[in-house]
Amino acid sequence: MKTSFFQVNDKCTGCLACVQNCPARALDYRDEGDNRTLLHNMARCARCATCLRVCPEQAVEFEHILENRWDEVVSLKMVRCEVCGNPLHSFRLDANLASEFAEITTRLCPRHRAAHQGRAGRPGGQTREEERKPTR
Amino acid sequence: MIVADLKPLSEIAASIEGFSKVLLLACGGCVTVCRTGGEAEAHDLARDLSHPEHFSGKPPDLVVAVIERQCERDLVESYLKIEPDCDAVLSLGCGVGVQTLADVQEDLPIIPGLSTTFMGAADEAGVWREKCQGCGDCLLTGTAGICPLARCSKSLLNGPCGGSRDGHCEIDPEVPCAWLLIYERLKRQGRLEHMQRITGPRDWRPAGHSGPRERQRRGIAPGRRIR
Repeated sequence: MKTSFFQVNDKCTGCLACVQNCPARALDYRDEGDNRTLLHNMARCARCATCLRVCPEQAVEFEHILENRWDEVVSLKMVRCEVCGNPLHSFRLDANLASEFAEITTRLCPRHRAAHQGRAGRPGGQTREEERKPTR
Repeated sequence: MIVADLKPLSEIAASIEGFSKVLLLACGGCVTVCRTGGEAEAHDLARDLSHPEHFSGKPPDLVVAVIERQCERDLVESYLKIEPDCDAVLSLGCGVGVQTLADVQEDLPIIPGLSTTFMGAADEAGVWREKCQGCGDCLLTGTAGICPLARCSKSLLNGPCGGSRDGHCEIDPEVPCAWLLIYERLKRQGRLEHMQRITGPRDWRPAGHSGPRERQRRGIAPGRRIR
């Protein structure tokens, strides 16, 4: 189960002071059988810390609400520069570009695109294969 | 944050008299935190307004909804759903939210349920105090983080007036003298030389005295409209 941003320690008695005082109605509870479950809705939470202030047991661990945590949103396969291998853009964007423009024949990062374009008029310029070789 | 007060119930009732169905729209931002315009207050207000004594005719039907931030035009345009038979909106947003709604819903009367009062913070639970007037030329560097424009009753910029008594203001004895607070804090920080510095006549144009202010940030491309 994903950890909630809103967390309480084991001093929580389920008194519902936080639920009753939350101005954003971001806290709720569910009584089922012998259990009371405290619920939190981050989309509603205004991070105002009223819960922290009203809790009679000092059970609210508000630092989790302020946690600088990154959630993974999407993972996309990337097209890489044919020379240096740096990621350029996603395959999805590549397909979108291909549908709107002429087919892309080379996939190069800005640095290698500049080198590639400059080489055409520059005798003795490196080929892509030569550039791949490590320099001493 | 922006702090607002609920208008008197009689004034709100008079402003929605004659409409048949009114959307009572809360805002999930500042006014939720200062407990005047959140969803809970919207339900309270709907309950209070449901009493027929406030209206000479039939009270309007009230539908409560909340939107996260009434001041974000594109979010309001995309996510605010108004039932077609609503003939007015009673907004519990601040003045910015009310105007954003009015710009988006030009065919509907948008009625404010709050009066926006100040930019402030809660010094203690349930007590919000004014801290900033948005003057556009912040002078907190030399005043130890205490704004004399917002917190001195006379907005004096060069020390206290002669009416400061026992650390309090002559206009309202409940209000601490801002300049005494500034002096004490500068003294604590060993920066009393700031008390000697004279603030000359200010240019009040950045404070909005030359018309509504605008801020532009280049490089924020208009993206695809939120669906």
